[in-house]
Amino acid sequence: MSRLPYSSDTSNSHLKPLIGDWLVIIISIVAVFFMFQQFWSFEHASQLRIRQGNKIIGTYDLNQTRELHIKGPIGESIIVINQGKVRFKQSPCHNQYCVHQGWLSHAGEVAICLPNQVSLQLLGAKNTYDSLNY
Amino acid sequence: MRWKEALTKAIVAPMRLFLVFIFFFLAGCSKPEPLYNTQSYIFGTLVDITIYGEPEPRAQEVSNQIIHGFQDLHNRLHAWRPSELKTLNDEFSRGNSPVTIAPDIAVVLSDATKLSIQSKGAFNPAIGGLIEAWGFHHDEFHPIKIDETKIKNLVHANPQMTDIMIKDGKISSNNPAVQVDLGGYAKGYALDIALASLRKQGVKNALVNIGGNIIALGKHGEKPWRVGIQHPRKPNAIATLDLESGWAIGTSGDYQRFFELNGKRYCHIIDPATGYPAQGVQAVTVLIPPQINAGTLSDVTSKPIFIAKPEARAEAAKAMGVENYLVIESNNKILVSPTMAKRLTWLDSLAAKHVTSALQ
Amino acid sequence: MTRSTINISTTAEDHHIAKLTALAIGLHIIEAVIPSPLPGVKPGIANIVTLYVLYEYGFATAAWVSLLRVFASSLLLGHFLSPTFVLSLSGAICSLAALYLAQQLPKKYFSAITLSICAAFAHIAGQLIVVRLWLIPQTGVIYLIPIFALAALIFGLINGLITTKLINQKS
Repeated sequence: MSRLPYSSDTSNSHLKPLIGDWLVIIISIVAVFFMFQQFWSFEHASQLRIRQGNKIIGTYDLNQTRELHIKGPIGESIIVINQGKVRFKQSPCHNQYCVHQGWLSHAGEVAICLPNQVSLQLLGAKNTYDSLNY
Repeated sequence: MRWKEALTKAIVAPMRLFLVFIFFFLAGCSKPEPLYNTQSYIFGTLVDITIYGEPEPRAQEVSNQIIHGFQDLHNRLHAWRPSELKTLNDEFSRGNSPVTIAPDIAVVLSDATKLSIQSKGAFNPAIGGLIEAWGFHHDEFHPIKIDETKIKNLVHANPQMTDIMIKDGKISSNNPAVQVDLGGYAKGYALDIALASLRKQGVKNALVNIGGNIIALGKHGEKPWRVGIQHPRKPNAIATLDLESGWAIGTSGDYQRFFELNGKRYCHIIDPATGYPAQGVQAVTVLIPPQINAGTLSDVTSKPIFIAKPEARAEAAKAMGVENYLVIESNNKILVSPTMAKRLTWLDSLAAKHVTSALQ
Repeated sequence: MTRSTINISTTAEDHHIAKLTALAIGLHIIEAVIPSPLPGVKPGIANIVTLYVLYEYGFATAAWVSLLRVFASSLLLGHFLSPTFVLSLSGAICSLAALYLAQQLPKKYFSAITLSICAAFAHIAGQLIVVRLWLIPQTGVIYLIPIFALAALIFGLINGLITTKLINQKS
């Protein structure tokens, strides 16, 4: 069996990666990063849009701690923003589905209080989807 | 110096690709999209219209027109507030002689009858009486005291769409128990009307969402419209899929309208055969290919699948001509038809584990 | 007394390769037995042997060692011709192809680390192709691709470093 010149190549006699290795490592890291972006488009939202009826009440930064009081046809809905997530804290509606929905944090997520006509919609740089089927 | 060339090739080519990518990425960010979105509350739910590629005033005008159309339809077809439909129901229960109806409502009722026959009665819009007995004829519903005798009598009275006769613009029913409730039809029908109206107005790209039922027209720029499917028990979406032009998607879930009594969940989807809310399923999603009544079918066809027994679901879907469907059962088992499986992208890794393919 | 055994003349090098293959099989089986937190994510330590053989004896021998390992391990584990075996084989074939290409790179700039990372990525790509085409033909798998890729990067890097150390110790 003939030996390839590999083993005699002693230029690689240290443990440190060579320049080409670094290149491969960096390209691989970038590739893996993009794969996460591409396939885990579970993007964390950066902004919150609140609507009441057919009006946009406002667009808020999600990275803050804040309580908002929104008046609707049957009373006041209380919405809490807490560092990247948001939820209905209190609602004058009877069934309380909106409150039970809990914290929203991903772009595209929606919570609606139908009786009080208040909706929360999370926005991100890239929405995972255009509309939600429920 | 061959290696040098090789190295240059190995580095420069990906770099160039990378730069091109970055360029497009930045270019994509800098220009605002010609996207118009409006929301309103009609049909007791949220209506969301998105239009792509039209100047804003035009998009607004078209949306307003559609919203007015919806409002009008809602007022005419309301099941428990004074409406044309309510008037008919009152006449039916009094057993009165034929009354005049609007031609478009006659068309709606005969189409609903056809679908009801096709579903072998699993989709039955004539059971308004039962829905009322379960307390779902309110904007807000409370746990009711279940009146077994009343439910039994209502099932026994066997109201069917086929009890209704339409002749020469006049309608009559030979069963006083018939109470038409288009709760599982009107939203889908409205989608079809919206799509027709958008096309007539020359809009190329739009997405209309009525209480979760969605119909697509054209694309969102270069990409197809993408729709998320709500997880029935979590705040996030369970999966996404691309909704191509003319396709419609609809979900029947036990999480939108329901009440809990003694720890048991009673949803608004009532099995006409038993008179009781269907159990064992959290959500059924159907995807309908382009056709004249795609919206209507996206609303109607999920109900027979929801009500069917686990072993009869594939058959129920087939009877309704539904090829693409997704069933999330109460035991977290997820059933997906093979054609639907190809279209879905799971977002919920846990859910993806529970998927089984539904054999047809 | 008649000798019924066939005598094959072997060299010391052959013995060495056989030992290395046995080591690769051993590592493969250890890894198969140890449960992984995520099914499919494994360090692939047997690849260290393949890489080492590639450097010491050349590509053809490395290919033999790698394929022998896949067949022998699956026979020993009772996975022969099962999905696990097919996954293992497709991963091995793809990673060998990647190794063949990667070893053409100038050695002055690219060490065993590059080869190891390329092999790890190719290995997982080969397995995912089988999963996608045959085992679970559902788009749901793509959700797992980034995790597999990240694991391939990390373990490829570690295995590459170990191989470099082994080669250096020998020389």
